[in-house]
Order: sequence, then C-alpha cells, then structure tokens
Amino acid sequence: MTGGLTASRLTGLRAWWVQRVSAACLLLFVLFVLYSFARSTGSYAAWRSWVADPGVTLAFGVFFVALVGHMWVGLRDVLLDYARPAGVRNALLVAVALALLALAIWAVAILVRLHR
Amino acid sequence: MTTRSGLPVFLNLAQIRMPVGALTSIGHRISGVVLAASVPVALWLFDVSLRDEAGFERVAALFERFAFRVAAVIAVWALAHHLLAGVRHLLSDFQIGAPLRVARRSAWFANLAGLGVALLAAAVML
Amino acid sequence: MKLSISRFDPERDRGPRMQDYEIERAPTDHMLLDVLLRLKGQDPTLSFRKSCREGVCGSDAMNINGRNGLACITRASELREPVVIRPLPGFPIIRDLIVDMTRFFKQYHSITPYLVNPEPPPDKERLQTPAEREKLNGAWECILCACCTSQCPSYWWNPEKFVGPSGLIQAYRFIFDSRDRATEQRLEDLGSDPYRLFRCRTIMNCAEVCPKGLEPVHAIERIRLKMAGIADEAGGLDVHPPISPT
Repeated sequence: MTGGLTASRLTGLRAWWVQRVSAACLLLFVLFVLYSFARSTGSYAAWRSWVADPGVTLAFGVFFVALVGHMWVGLRDVLLDYARPAGVRNALLVAVALALLALAIWAVAILVRLHR
Repeated sequence: MTTRSGLPVFLNLAQIRMPVGALTSIGHRISGVVLAASVPVALWLFDVSLRDEAGFERVAALFERFAFRVAAVIAVWALAHHLLAGVRHLLSDFQIGAPLRVARRSAWFANLAGLGVALLAAAVML
Repeated sequence: MKLSISRFDPERDRGPRMQDYEIERAPTDHMLLDVLLRLKGQDPTLSFRKSCREGVCGSDAMNINGRNGLACITRASELREPVVIRPLPGFPIIRDLIVDMTRFFKQYHSITPYLVNPEPPPDKERLQTPAEREKLNGAWECILCACCTSQCPSYWWNPEKFVGPSGLIQAYRFIFDSRDRATEQRLEDLGSDPYRLFRCRTIMNCAEVCPKGLEPVHAIERIRLKMAGIADEAGGLDVHPPISPT
C-alpha cells in the first residue's frame, strides 16, 4: 500500500496522529485529573500527599505531556487557518511554541518540587 | 469583501445556513481556545495549592468568589463540549458513526450534552 | 412568489445589492430554475448559468436561502419566502449569480484527475473486479458543481492552499482506483503539507449540501487512513438522499 512512504514525508499526517493519540491519552487521564481535584476539597495535607504519591505524580506527568502536544497541534491549526501573512503566522507559531514549552517546564517543576 | 482581482465575494456568515455539524465544529474550536487560555490559570492554581497551607487556603478562597465561579462554569462547558465533539471526531476517523444521518444525531447530542453539563455545573456552583 | 436576488453589474455597481422580485407561480414552475427563467421575461438583465436543467451538469449551483444547491432540482413549492438567492459563497462574483470557477478548477487539476498507468495497455480494457469497481461508488458521481467547496469554512479561509471537498473526493476516486499506479505520489502530494488535505476539520457542510448526496468528508477520512497505512474497508462511499434548500 504505502510501502515507500515514510512518516517523515507526510508531515500533515504526523500532526494528525499526535493530536489523535494525545486526545486518547487525555480522555483517559482527564477523568483521573477530575477525580484528583474532587479529592482536593479536603485538607492541604491530604491534597499534597495525594499528588506526591509516585503513581499519581507520574499520571499527572503523562497528562501534561499529552496536554502540551494536543494544545500545540490544536493552536497550530487555528493559526494555520486564520493567521496571515506568512511572516505574522510564523511569528505567532513560534510564540505559541515557546509559551507551551514554558508551560511544560513549569508543570515539571511543580511535580519535581513535591519530591524534594 | 473583495478578492485580489477586485471582484466581490459573498461571505456574510449570518446569511449562510450552518447545519448542526458546523455548530459542533465551531464550538469545538472555540472551546479549545477557551481551554488553552485556562491551562495557565489552572497550572497556577495547581502550583499555589501545592506550595503550602497558605497557598491552599488562597485557592480555596478564590473558589468562593462569584466571578471566579462563573469563569469555572464556562471552563466546564468548554471541557464538556470539546471532549464530546472530540470523541465524535475520534470515532468518525475510524469510520464509526460516519454516514450523514448518524453524524447529525451525534452532533445534536454533543451540542446539547455540553450545554447540559454546563447548566449542571452552574446549578451546583452558582 | 417573492424572491430577493443578489445583483451585481461590474460596470455599474460598486458591490452586490439585493433586488426584490415578485412573480405568479405557474403550474409548470416545478423547480426554482423554471421560476428564474420566467423571471428573465420580467428582467432580461438577470444573469445566471444553466444548462442541462436536470441536475447533472452542475451549472446552476447557487446559494438558496443560505444553503447551496442546484436551482434545477430545488422544488419551488418547498422554499421559504421571500426566497433569498445569492451566488456561491467565497467565490469571486463576475456578474449577478455567476461566479469565477477558475480557482476551483485549478484545485481540481492539481490532484491529477486522470488515470496514471505506464504499463502497456491491454488489447481491450484494463480489467477490474466488481469489488474493485465498487470502491469508486459515491465518488465518481461528482458533477463538479462546487456546492460543497463553497460551503466549506476551511476552503473559505484558505482557497489557494486547501484543495477543498470536491477536489479531494476526485482525488479519492483516483487513489482508490485499482487501475491507477500513482497512489504513492498522490498520497504524498496531499499529505506532505498541512494545507492540501489536512485543513479538513470534518465539519461536514460538504455532505449536507451535495446535490448528488455524496459525502466528500468520508472520502477525505479514507484517504487519511490510507496514508496512515490502516487497511481500508470494502465498498464505496456512503451516499444519502440529497437535502435540498428549503
């Protein structure tokens, strides 16, 4: 079928896959995250110890990775559709990419801090 | 509106019929942007609430404020609609619920259920 | 019957304007095209394209009460009045209801709309099994009327770069034709940038307005799956009873 085609040539398809896979991940984890927030209505100590549990920390970590990937593809689509001319569009894409990188670093920092 | 050739174009969205699927789709995009905007806020709340006891209290106090609760309800709608429309997309990608008649029904469901969840959240929080 | 029709004379008007008409519906006025042709008796300057008058040439595609359709197969009795008729959305207006189809056809030509097979031709036809032929159902019937493409928001925002539903359903017709040998090139052409095919957001306006009941959105989904190397299902594309403007 598509024997000769490598994923690297089909860049449009790659973005589509990232969005679909991250969506599936988020679907599973958003339920987990919502459940976590429901648990947070207790005390500070209970909330902190819940998130600091290694399994929970890992789950949140996977969630943030999928979230940043999903946000990138989604926001990129919005910019590709509406932003013009090309110079403005590329500048905005870079700005969004940097903002998402900052968010990812921040999320990791929060989780790491819990385990100091 | 004119094109580069100078010829006019009819593109008045208010005068073009939008079928139910188009509403689901634009809702999906708008809810996505709303969610993207609320992620930094959510991350900040997450950060502050985990820092120390005082931070936790601060976040809890924020949830008492009416304006904040309204914003939360909007975020709940955005999440519900984005999730439902997104699942509809995922299924459609793999040819489930694809034919037009079926797709229209799922579009109605996504639109109404999203609003339903938001109303529920409003009832609980406001 | 009351109608409100978009008029534009490039030599006299600065922009399109709406003009009201009123006409007695005759018993022979079954379709909107019949009414429009009799309207020309009242106002000979009213301009629109028409040809076959039976829904196969695609010439009289126009926006009727907000929804694209072919005037010759839109029942006059089912239309809300006043009937608001405008040219196809997003296409440059040459005059009245006549739009410039150049860009639309450029997108069509860009998907290589002919069989590519360098193998020496057989004595008679290049053979296909019934199952192979069936894959083309729901795509070959496209009449290139542009109802779908001009109702697609993704095409409105990027008509130069996004091929559009009509071009893509035609691309499907060749990608899934067992006699074609250029599948890889076709898929690479559509998948190697984020615009040609991947602007499609599965909004489904195309399927809603196709006067032949075709579903370009699903042709696009199947092309994506083929790009991803996921096995394609048997049979052609779904076709539904066309939904006319009301």
